[in-house]
Amino acid sequence: MPNDIVDVLIIGAGASGAAVAWSLADTRMRILCLEQGDWMNSTEYPSTKMDWEARQQKEFNIDPNVRANDWDYPINDEESPISVVNFNGVGGSTILYGAHFPRLHPSDFKVKSLDGVAADWPIDYDLLDPYFAQNDRMMGVSGLAGDPFYPPKQPPLPPIPLGLVGETVAKGYNKLGWHWWPSDSAIISQAYEGRDKCLNLGPCMTGCSQGAKSSTDITYWPAAIRAGVELKTQCRVREITINKQGMADGAIYYDAEGNEQHQRAEVVVMAGNGIGTPRILLNSCSSLFPDGLANSSGLVGKNLMFHPVGFVQGLFEENLESHKGPQACCILSKQFYETDIERGFTRGYNMQVSRGAGPVGTALQGFVSGKIPWGSKHHAAFKERFDHVAALAILCEDLPEEHNCVTLDPKLVDSDGIPAPKIHYKLSENTAKMLKHGLSRGEEVMQAAGAREIFSGGPVRPAGWHLLGTARMGNDPQSSVVNNWGRSHDVKNLFIVDGSIFVTAGGLNPTSTIQALALYIADSMKKNLANLFD
Amino acid sequence: MTKEDDLITTDKPLGKALEKQLRGLLDTLIPATEDGVMLSAADIDLMPYLQLHSAESIPMLIQLLNELDDQFASLTQTARESIVEQMSITHPGPFKIVTLQVFACYYQDERAQRGIGMDAGPPFPRGNSVEPGDLSLLDPVIAGRHSYRKVED
Ligand SMILES: Cc1cc2nc3c(=O)[nH]c(=O)nc-3n(C[C@H](O)[C@H](O)[C@H](O)COP(=O)(O)OP(=O)(O)OC[C@H]3O[C@@H](n4cnc5c(N)ncnc54)[C@H](O)[C@@H]3O)c2cc1C
Repeated sequence: MPNDIVDVLIIGAGASGAAVAWSLADTRMRILCLEQGDWMNSTEYPSTKMDWEARQQKEFNIDPNVRANDWDYPINDEESPISVVNFNGVGGSTILYGAHFPRLHPSDFKVKSLDGVAADWPIDYDLLDPYFAQNDRMMGVSGLAGDPFYPPKQPPLPPIPLGLVGETVAKGYNKLGWHWWPSDSAIISQAYEGRDKCLNLGPCMTGCSQGAKSSTDITYWPAAIRAGVELKTQCRVREITINKQGMADGAIYYDAEGNEQHQRAEVVVMAGNGIGTPRILLNSCSSLFPDGLANSSGLVGKNLMFHPVGFVQGLFEENLESHKGPQACCILSKQFYETDIERGFTRGYNMQVSRGAGPVGTALQGFVSGKIPWGSKHHAAFKERFDHVAALAILCEDLPEEHNCVTLDPKLVDSDGIPAPKIHYKLSENTAKMLKHGLSRGEEVMQAAGAREIFSGGPVRPAGWHLLGTARMGNDPQSSVVNNWGRSHDVKNLFIVDGSIFVTAGGLNPTSTIQALALYIADSMKKNLANLFD
Repeated sequence: MTKEDDLITTDKPLGKALEKQLRGLLDTLIPATEDGVMLSAADIDLMPYLQLHSAESIPMLIQLLNELDDQFASLTQTARESIVEQMSITHPGPFKIVTLQVFACYYQDERAQRGIGMDAGPPFPRGNSVEPGDLSLLDPVIAGRHSYRKVED
């Protein structure tokens, strides 16, 4: 027997699923979200334990193939130099994210007009501006107004501390006359909405035990549930079902006991992320949609964009106490963000300063790189490095290319027998040149900041953090999957709200923009309720 | 050696003889400092740690320990280091894996963490204090000619 029909069925309870659920709740429609993972218990996060660095390597590894829980799905990434990282549970990947929370720039929405590459978005920064602000308030964002690289905006909370790492690298930027600014961070620097402020634990990317990092299980979800949204966990969707008219009419999923269920719905909203969503759509084949649902353009799964990442580390004489404070959030520079063809590539990158590793991370990295030996010289070498390293990530804009894509693996399946995604990805020449440029500039900064040893490298393999572009937005049904408010061109009651709909990637961490888009799409649905399917 | 000394059980997978070799190996990999601030890796609880976090490395550890001479543990640090150096060349794979685990276990020990100047206990609920930083460092950025790229309508 199919389950009772709901008005809106959301698939995935991560960054975008939570935002869209909360926003739609005020319509008083019956809204249900299905999530394959479960609720998290913050008292179980690694940072509550002495062996947190070991747990980070296994149960809380960012790579789902290493965690290999039943509620994760395997990802075949053999044909990609960058592996996909994520988290599956209420909160989605925000459970493990670094919470570095910049918005895309106005120029990012218009790269075809400005630089003659890729495509323009059908929407712009100004349209998203109020949703960015609403999302900042809902998530609890800390930052400093006045960054000259943005139109005016006011983060709700003051910035998180720069620490000695931030100050030291900032001085390097100043010597070079380059831009930098304290990072917008989805980490609360002061008590906010019933949550206590950040305690500078350090390991944000193993889940925040303090609850100061704004993951959506503790921001949007409690508010959405209070407003009447229902969230069912341990429910993994296999496919979207359709009726004879070619409209979505629900989803088949496996419940916590592994039983197959059919949930009927008037509207389906996909929020499974840039890999999970195309996977479900490609798996939803029928006589009406033989190549997968919403795929008449052939672009479902295509144009996968990561932000390829390189790292530059500087070793300093002074103790920078670098294991303290939010790991991924400190300061950033957008000096090389915009196109300058003299550099030999189009578009650009941001330089995101991060804090140093914990003691185990320091020791292991040091051993592998030959800098921290075993034996009688061990302690002196360790002491020289621990807390003395500042790092910066070069986060490059990746342009959309159809051959970079997600398909269904012919053999690999998850614990419910659903085909797993396979990633096909090659680093483009443009991105490779950009990365090289960024690594050299990063080395210059570290030198200017006074580092006495500098090491750099990239692309880093387990850095597929940002999963974008695989069901892109556009006005033309032949060159895009959804329209300018997230509705499928082919299936008029199917919406996509996650990172899949990005047209281009920008060179900044995407979650702030993903959530602003989800809020904008929810608002557009509310404004068009009377003629939602026209 | 009594019979009990030879016993190998799930909680004592090495037996007395290999345990002695293990202490020698660990003390070679990370010896104590003379000032007593940093403990020797021989004084950390490696085996329960490996059982919990890296059971697959236990057979490699046993393989390495079996390579060592009975006298190994009683040699000087310098003599032990040259034997272990040799072992790292003849058994590079197992040696690397075991050493990484020893380092990992060592630096998750509260005594080692205190020795390197960290506060005791896991990060939460202890927390850390971090310098807010001097925001006047932004003055040149604000005074500079930076601006975002305008998009014409
Ligand atoms: C280690 C790490 C660090 C990161 N750091 C940053 C950062 O500093 N800044 C930043 O902006 N971004 C960062 N990110 C990326 C950020 O987490 C994502 O951009 C964001 O969470 C994406 O939102 P989403 O809604 O598209 O997907 P997600 O948040 O990934 O949510 C998707 C949800 O859908 C569920 N789902 C998928 N398929 C199914 C199915 N078949 N059935 C039921 N449920 C399903 C998943 O379980 C998951 O919970 C990081 C990510 C990681 C992993």
